[in-house]
Amino acid sequence: MINLFRLTSFRIIFIYIILLALSIGLVAFYLYWSTSKDFQTKVDNEIIQESVRLSQVHKRYKEVGLIRQIQYLSQTPSPNLYILRDSNNKFIAGNFSDTDSLWNLTRLEEGVVLFSFEKKDNNGETIRKYYFRGKEFIVRNKYNLIVARDVSYENYLKERFFNTILSTSLLIILLGLLGGYVLSRNFLNRISAINKTSLEIMDGDLSMRLPTSSNNDELNQLSLNLNNMLDRLNKLMIGMKDVSDNIAHDLRTPLNKIRTNLEVTLMSNPDSESYRQTINDVIDDVDSLINTFNSLLAISRVDSGSISLKKEKINIKNLIEDIVDLWEPLAEEKGVILNNECDIDIYLEGNKNLLSQAISNLIDNAIKYGESKNIVNVGSRDNKDSILIWVSDTGPGIHDKDKEKVLDRFTRLDTSRNTSGTGLGLSLVSSMIKFHQGTIELLDAKPKGLIVKLQIPSC
Amino acid sequence: MHILLIEDDINAASYVIKGLKESGHVVDHASDGEEGIQLALTLKFDVIVVDRMLPKLDGLSLINKIRTENIDTPILILSALGEVDEKVLGLKAGADDYLAKPFSFSELLARIEVLNRRTNPEVKETFLKVGSLSMNLLTRQVHRQGIEVDLQPREFRLLEFLMKRSNQVVTRTMLLEGVWEYHFDPQTNVIDVHISRLRSKIDKPFDCKQMLFTERGAGYALRSDD
Repeated sequence: MINLFRLTSFRIIFIYIILLALSIGLVAFYLYWSTSKDFQTKVDNEIIQESVRLSQVHKRYKEVGLIRQIQYLSQTPSPNLYILRDSNNKFIAGNFSDTDSLWNLTRLEEGVVLFSFEKKDNNGETIRKYYFRGKEFIVRNKYNLIVARDVSYENYLKERFFNTILSTSLLIILLGLLGGYVLSRNFLNRISAINKTSLEIMDGDLSMRLPTSSNNDELNQLSLNLNNMLDRLNKLMIGMKDVSDNIAHDLRTPLNKIRTNLEVTLMSNPDSESYRQTINDVIDDVDSLINTFNSLLAISRVDSGSISLKKEKINIKNLIEDIVDLWEPLAEEKGVILNNECDIDIYLEGNKNLLSQAISNLIDNAIKYGESKNIVNVGSRDNKDSILIWVSDTGPGIHDKDKEKVLDRFTRLDTSRNTSGTGLGLSLVSSMIKFHQGTIELLDAKPKGLIVKLQIPSC
Repeated sequence: MHILLIEDDINAASYVIKGLKESGHVVDHASDGEEGIQLALTLKFDVIVVDRMLPKLDGLSLINKIRTENIDTPILILSALGEVDEKVLGLKAGADDYLAKPFSFSELLARIEVLNRRTNPEVKETFLKVGSLSMNLLTRQVHRQGIEVDLQPREFRLLEFLMKRSNQVVTRTMLLEGVWEYHFDPQTNVIDVHISRLRSKIDKPFDCKQMLFTERGAGYALRSDD
């Protein structure tokens, strides 16, 4: 069973309906009140006019004249009712002799009286009930005169009016509640669909998505936003999973190699020279493991934007000159021509160590993966709102489908399986450029080769 | 050499102690900051090796205390916090060198030995001599056996660094930090090529003993040919 009052939507609808019913009731009551007031005033005025006439008769012809006048009026058709009684309530004249019916006479202020009369058939069954409104006059302390008018129709109208208002209000409330129920049920169904899916996602099925509809209301917007968030989270999760799988794989392989090497050395009754050889091999393997760990740590440190990474004003020209100077002998040894194409001072706000390492890694890749007779160009240009740094080579380049992938951690393309490296070089560069709010782009060089473009916003 | 090692990780410390003893040094070990400062203030050491994170008294405050007591023993600080700015903090506190964990033992040994024979940086040397090799820092001329050797500026700085630490092992990282001022390791044999270029200029043309050696797994050493 749905607890409707728990729902914000239903609560709002309920409160709204109560307010609506109250205001309709208020307006209707005012109409009712003013209409019935009008009826009364009309009746009262007519009775007052009649009584003024009668008092004039009384003045001129005394009691006898008044009695006669009433007797006369009682015999002519008139909407008015006259009852003249003496001080002992004995009927003297008038067109309503059934003074016993006056037991229910109600006296209001200013001599206004109300009473009713039930017309009965021979069996004593009520045929019709009449209502009267009138005024009571005391004539010379001897006579009691009531002049009244039948207000049954007016009372009937008032009653009808009141009942209509009441039933209309009730109908509005009823329909409103029904509508509110239907609307909030719809709302509730959508909410519980979202809740259900959320629970399933919490249980581990990250591929589930919240239901969305075609109408673009807030609820749908919420679902869409949550779905987008889930997409991102899922992508990150997959990324994390890939990274940890890769870490496990990349670390297990050298560890296995070390273990086998040590085991085999022990088995083969070794002399001290082969011990020495094995230990040296193991040191090399462990060093490369440490390198991998250091690169991973460096990436996560740069990614988390560690506060200890400070920025300063750097002359890119000097920075490139120093790196080219570091790599130039190795390039020459490998038959690679390393050119520095930067010949003007370009300033940049950045972390010198990170940028040096980024460019150094790119040059390393360009030399490592290129063939001999490879030409590697390093340069920089000030594009006003950003600084462009490029490292290009004339090597085999990277296929379009692999370009995204090589920036990921531990990606080593099949073509580079046999070269040394941690597979972290480019992702470290990518992290370092992200730290500088910059972008990294891999483009094809013409006629062949790769251009890596780093764009870093200038300060 | 008498070395004080202040390191709370007993396991790591025992390997370092073993290695240092194996290399012919005398080692005292303290496993927390307070014990360390006590030893440093009472005994005379050639080099003090301090871990950055220590129980009771952290590495940086310990170095500060040692320095305020006017003890100028060379101090090497060890830390898992390998960031450049961390190094600057350590050096500011009064340490002479900084080594990030994990380090290779040969790196530690090389740095300790260099620290022990550290030349006073206040004294500006203008002339260096190792065996038959001489360097004039004013005229920027290098001679071996009286014959002038023509060096590129970077080769000159590399040789200067090696000559100031002659007969000692100098590691790749020490060269990267000291000659190129890089605080990262390019993980390729870039330095090897620089060394062999230098060797082709100071060793190869001369028909006498080799001076510039590569120490496998450790680094390089410029040894006197006397």
